[in-house]
Amino acid sequence: MPSTLRRTTITAAFAVLILYGGLILSLGWFLEGAVFRGMLFSERSLFAIRLSLITATISSCMALIIAIPAAYALSRYRFWGSEAINTLLEFPIIVSPAALGAILLMFFSSPLGEWVQAHTVRFVFGFAGILLAQFVTVLGVAVRLLKASFDEIPVEIEVIARTLGATPRYAFFTVVLPLARRGILAAFVLSWAKALGEFGATVTLAGTMAMRTETLPVAIYLRLASADIEGTAALILIMVGIGLCSLYLARRLLQRSVDANRMG
Amino acid sequence: MFSVESLRVCVGSFALEAFDLTVSKGECHVLLGPSGSGKTTLLRSFLGLLPVQSGTIRLLGRDITAFPIESRGFGYVPQHLGLFPHLCVRDNIAYSAKARNVPIDLFQPVVDGLIEATDIRGLLERMPHTLSGGERQRVGLVRALASQPHLLLLDEPFTALHENLRQELWELMRTLQRKHQLTLLLITHDLREAYALADSITVLLGGRVVQQGSKEEVFSRPKTPEVARFLGVENILQGRILKRDALAWLVDIAGIEIPITAYPPPSNTALEQGDVWVVIRSEEILLASAQTPSASDTPLRGTIRSIHPSYPQWKIEIDVGFRIFASVTRHQVEEMGLNVGSSVQIGWKPQNAQLLRSHQQQSE
Repeated sequence: MPSTLRRTTITAAFAVLILYGGLILSLGWFLEGAVFRGMLFSERSLFAIRLSLITATISSCMALIIAIPAAYALSRYRFWGSEAINTLLEFPIIVSPAALGAILLMFFSSPLGEWVQAHTVRFVFGFAGILLAQFVTVLGVAVRLLKASFDEIPVEIEVIARTLGATPRYAFFTVVLPLARRGILAAFVLSWAKALGEFGATVTLAGTMAMRTETLPVAIYLRLASADIEGTAALILIMVGIGLCSLYLARRLLQRSVDANRMG
Repeated sequence: MFSVESLRVCVGSFALEAFDLTVSKGECHVLLGPSGSGKTTLLRSFLGLLPVQSGTIRLLGRDITAFPIESRGFGYVPQHLGLFPHLCVRDNIAYSAKARNVPIDLFQPVVDGLIEATDIRGLLERMPHTLSGGERQRVGLVRALASQPHLLLLDEPFTALHENLRQELWELMRTLQRKHQLTLLLITHDLREAYALADSITVLLGGRVVQQGSKEEVFSRPKTPEVARFLGVENILQGRILKRDALAWLVDIAGIEIPITAYPPPSNTALEQGDVWVVIRSEEILLASAQTPSASDTPLRGTIRSIHPSYPQWKIEIDVGFRIFASVTRHQVEEMGLNVGSSVQIGWKPQNAQLLRSHQQQSE
């Protein structure tokens, strides 16, 4: 006879499915085949899809480039400021995305920010602004996830590598990174998904210019603002499709990575 | 070969001070002590994982105290986490050659010899998670030795294994040590492991070195009652010297006067009077039925209080006015008809009793 715990927990799991699945299915009420097909292949939608995929991929790659060494340092060393950094990792989660975008906008309105824009690239209302907004949003999460992954790798295994003649750098690349492979993949996938759905910071910093800074979430917002419910539903479904397919693919990859770690 | 001079290491409030050690080439030295005695602290300081407050660590005459781990010349085999889980056995073994960029021609002959000696040729393509505990430790040993270290540090590498396997690996370790003239520093709390592998021993208790010497010396002549207790001696009897003559002491144990012709020889002036500890291993206690003429110089009569069946020997608790333990075989118990309440006489050979002062008494 199934236990009460089993029944209760499985019911909770199905509640998740009913909530999210129901919400997605409810889009069908407003969906029209012709509108959906038209939306899927329209130039403006394709631009938004392409822009979202490109910016989410670049910003999450950039986040990992910083997050991997930073997370390793936070996992392995105690240094001045490490506690403060650890606390600041949740900063993008605590402040709302719009506030984060506002902070970025205010920074670029300051003399230092203006100097940065004058001497590098234009962030406000530009492609670089989308990248920066997504990068700032996902960096903290990426570091947090990777730190947890490095924490799981015993320091002792690096010590063994070093007694075998490896320098700290060689041990990092040949032992630590391969063992953290799964965590790195997971951090990338979650960062990418978060960047793909990022709206608040992007819209504040990069604006809502059609065919320029119009990512998928921005496109959805613009459709809704112009009371185009069918178009909004179609775009949301496109976004859900891309996101879920990518996450499914990533889960498969992760599983293969786990098996590979076990096997090799 | 390997020497440590006046080493001082602190971890929080725990401090190890004035630690000295010398290990000669081809020797197996054992750091023996219970958990919390400071063995791991010492090992970590040798590896360079803990800062050394003062003192020097030398290997082959070089002061390596400030060297990075990879330049110290140590091999290291820990109890757990030995092998890299993402590399097959062959790549685990080849890791040091790749890390040091050693040409394969120089590396392969040594490794081939080790692979044959440890019988792991059939495992080379296997992944670590498919190996048994014993196979993993053998691969771990080969990998550490393949880097041709000057000193191999072994941190309780066989403790988690099954008894038969442990004995097999001790034998293998001894064979490898003799064949390759290996210098080993083994850290363990296991008396049997220490006895099986050690040439010399340092006993650590509560962060202090309490005895250093050859294996035979440490096991047969513990320096203090604390060492004796750690080494598993059951009979550590508190007494008081009543009289001393040229050949023996007369010691009062729980109101019973017992003549002890004991080691150290009576020339030891420190043992003129006062409180002492009489130390006798339970296996050195001679047991006879109450009617038999005693084979011992110092017979005592008593009653069996309890019998504890154990393997390989049984423990008999006897009340002779104070409590004393004797180890006997099951066969002896049956042959002598030993039961709780039986009267027996006990004794010991003079050379098997020891008179000791405690560490505190020695310091006074």
